[in-house]
Amino acid sequence: MKTKHIAAGLAALALIATLSLSSHAQQSSVTVYSGRSSGLVDPIVKAFEKDTGIKINVRYGTDAALYAALQEEGTRSPADVFWVNTAGAVVTAAKNGLFQKLPAALLKRPAEFVPKSGLWVPLSARFRVVAFNPKTVKDSDLPTGVLEMPKLVKFKGRVGWTPTYSSFQDFITALRKVHGENKARQWLLDMKKLEPKSYASNTAMLDAMRAGEIDVALTNHYYIQKIIAGVREGEFEGTAEEKETATQPQGNVIGTHYFAAGDVGNLELVTGAGILKTSKNAAAQRFLEYLLSTKTQQLTTTTILEYPVVSGFALPKTLLPLSEAIRRSPKLDFEQLSDLNGTLKLLRDVGVL
Amino acid sequence: MRSQPIGRQTRSSASLTKARRGSGRRTPPALLALASLTALGVLLPLLYLLLRATQAEPAVLLEILWRTRNLELLGNTLLLLLGVLVCSTLIALPLAWLLTRSDLPLRRWLVFVGVLPLAVPGYVGAYAMLAATGSGGVIELLTGLNCPRPSGYWGALGVLTLFGFSYLFLNFWTTLSGLDPSLEDAARSLGLRPWAVFWRVIWPQLQPALYAGGLLLGLHVLGDFGVVSLMRFETFSYAIYIQYSAAFDRVYAAWLSLMLLVLTGAALVLEARLMRNVRLARVGIGAARASQVVRLDWWQAALALGLIGLIAGASLVVPLGTVMYWLTRHAVSSGGLLEAGLNSVLAAGPAALLAVLLALPLAYLGVRFPSWSSRLLERTAYLGYATPPLALALAFVFFSLQTLPLLYQTLTLLVIALALHFLAEAIGPIRAALHQVPVRLEEAARGLGVSPGAAFVRVTLPLVWRGLVSSLALVFLSSLKELPISFLLSPVGFDTLAKRIWGYTSEAMFAEAAPYALGIVLISSVLAGMVLVRERR
Repeated sequence: MKTKHIAAGLAALALIATLSLSSHAQQSSVTVYSGRSSGLVDPIVKAFEKDTGIKINVRYGTDAALYAALQEEGTRSPADVFWVNTAGAVVTAAKNGLFQKLPAALLKRPAEFVPKSGLWVPLSARFRVVAFNPKTVKDSDLPTGVLEMPKLVKFKGRVGWTPTYSSFQDFITALRKVHGENKARQWLLDMKKLEPKSYASNTAMLDAMRAGEIDVALTNHYYIQKIIAGVREGEFEGTAEEKETATQPQGNVIGTHYFAAGDVGNLELVTGAGILKTSKNAAAQRFLEYLLSTKTQQLTTTTILEYPVVSGFALPKTLLPLSEAIRRSPKLDFEQLSDLNGTLKLLRDVGVL
Repeated sequence: MRSQPIGRQTRSSASLTKARRGSGRRTPPALLALASLTALGVLLPLLYLLLRATQAEPAVLLEILWRTRNLELLGNTLLLLLGVLVCSTLIALPLAWLLTRSDLPLRRWLVFVGVLPLAVPGYVGAYAMLAATGSGGVIELLTGLNCPRPSGYWGALGVLTLFGFSYLFLNFWTTLSGLDPSLEDAARSLGLRPWAVFWRVIWPQLQPALYAGGLLLGLHVLGDFGVVSLMRFETFSYAIYIQYSAAFDRVYAAWLSLMLLVLTGAALVLEARLMRNVRLARVGIGAARASQVVRLDWWQAALALGLIGLIAGASLVVPLGTVMYWLTRHAVSSGGLLEAGLNSVLAAGPAALLAVLLALPLAYLGVRFPSWSSRLLERTAYLGYATPPLALALAFVFFSLQTLPLLYQTLTLLVIALALHFLAEAIGPIRAALHQVPVRLEEAARGLGVSPGAAFVRVTLPLVWRGLVSSLALVFLSSLKELPISFLLSPVGFDTLAKRIWGYTSEAMFAEAAPYALGIVLISSVLAGMVLVRERR
């Protein structure tokens, strides 16, 4: 029958494609599962391949999907490195025994944020901040502590947050650990009275601020930085060709509000990576070293506008100095952020999720 | 007599055929085996979900499942589902009718308006809509008009309708082009007015198209997360997403996925009940001739063109215009564009072919040998479509590593998974086309001494060709846009257009994402163009 021929042809085609793809993976290579998106990771991977001659195979996805896949793969996982986009995910992965212990030399590289467990290394840091629309809000309108946020009744219905987003949930976990369950619950209930708008992502939320939908939003510092950088004709962008393109301001430039020093609303969070227990690949370690190298750290800072974890950089002018940012953030062990289920339960109880 | 629609009479005359068929032909075992194997493939993810679901702890399970919030989400989901179905029919049906039955100018080109919105990935469409509107939005920057931003129920309804009505349009359009006009002629000669002809003759014959397209669109809405989350309207898939992504949890997410599948099961039963007894093949002699063209007055044509322009403006011009605007803001070197495009086609092409090959026996059994078992097999395909793609991908990770580790992270596995996921999209048009092929033709061929297989290839296949092409196109377009399955199952380093778009948009790098979004639309347009050129013959 005709269909059989087609089927056989298809199978052959698929087989050829498979073989041609697998033959690529013969030379020395590292397989990375990356929760960070290709837009950020690709330039770094290309540079690594050029500098070392080691090939990097990247599987992209969200932290959650890759983590679930790693669990399904178990001991058969082809992955060497899990590069994680959020503090909650990297801590969860470490806690559930996915990572192997890293050598001391590697753990010494970062100046800050190294976990006691030694199972993963931090790669960049970000801080929770408040974004505001400078046309309708003055910095002095905003409180010095995140616990005072519910008092902003004049912005009722014009406050944005991202309950499904990991950084927001990490912040709630920190709120619970610092101020206790009851205060955290009360804060959420009081915030709900402001009728906050829930966005699926920070990007979508800040776009809504641009469009005049909200005035105040709880977010991470670099989302605001990226918008400022975009408006200022690519002042902080890496490549020459990007600098040339003139961009016009899109609506309002967005302002950043910091709470008082030590306030949980200034929470620091990290991205990180670990080497999987199932990996026997020595090159994996070289890749992590590369990620912590001065060159890559500088690239991270200038393109993503997150903070480096290795000291001794000139940061873009719109960022606080790293020491100042750390001084402002609450003292909290990242391992405490692993109590994600408690946070989810609380968010469900109060009807935010 | 007036209450008796004319369509029904064809059914009663067809019931004779049914009786004869029942006694004359047994279900071919080879076909049944093939169909069962396909159904088994679709059921694998379900097995996986059950496996994970049994690992739950009862107390936690109760906390997650028995929430009034879930009921609220369920209500939201159903409300959205109903709205999208009604609005999409209101757009798709008049459009399909105008483009097949009237002398509207440019109607051959306007078919693109009905098909191309499918080429815009929902999440890109939603993002573009948001970026285009509000103060400082692209529309305001270009024209000075401040458009209101879509959000909430109406936003989700609007975006899902605009980028989803094509499912119904394709089905209506295929059916209307293939309808035998002799029934309408008969109705007219019996003195029925045009509207009555439509309601009593054409509309009943459109039912398979409505159900098939409506089912797809409905399942699409049930499973959508990208659009509803951007529009800040919370549906049931929201709960599943939270469970996977926020809680890093496979077990309770499996429970929620199973609940969604139960909902799908209910929709399938409903559709099966509605479809029962629909029998629409021509029973007369001779070939169907071309339908009569309705002449439009100039003002009717102008009105129709205006409305079509409005739809095209919202579903094509706004998203594409926004993407173009992003493109102009950055001179992006897009070296990876060609490779990503090629990879996209390399995955979507074979997936579409495989899906059509697998769907043929299922649809054929369902139409030609109606029984509870053939119906069950056919319906099973829809479960694959309704399984949350992340769960489906995890199931394939699990089973391939357990049984055929060599297959893991190969293009072959990706193609198989995509084909099984989108199988339901392939079945609809084929089924609708098969309904229009009289079984008598096959019987005649067999009476002339041709084997059943040859009769199918030489008689039925050419007649359902149009349906096959629609199926192929649908699965191809969907595979091109698909994300969760491609992320987890494609070979490592296998870059596709959709993955690139996601990789950039999630970091707000819209300018960088723009060429890839245009790439998807371009490939889809070329495909749609090829299909439509073929159609014209």
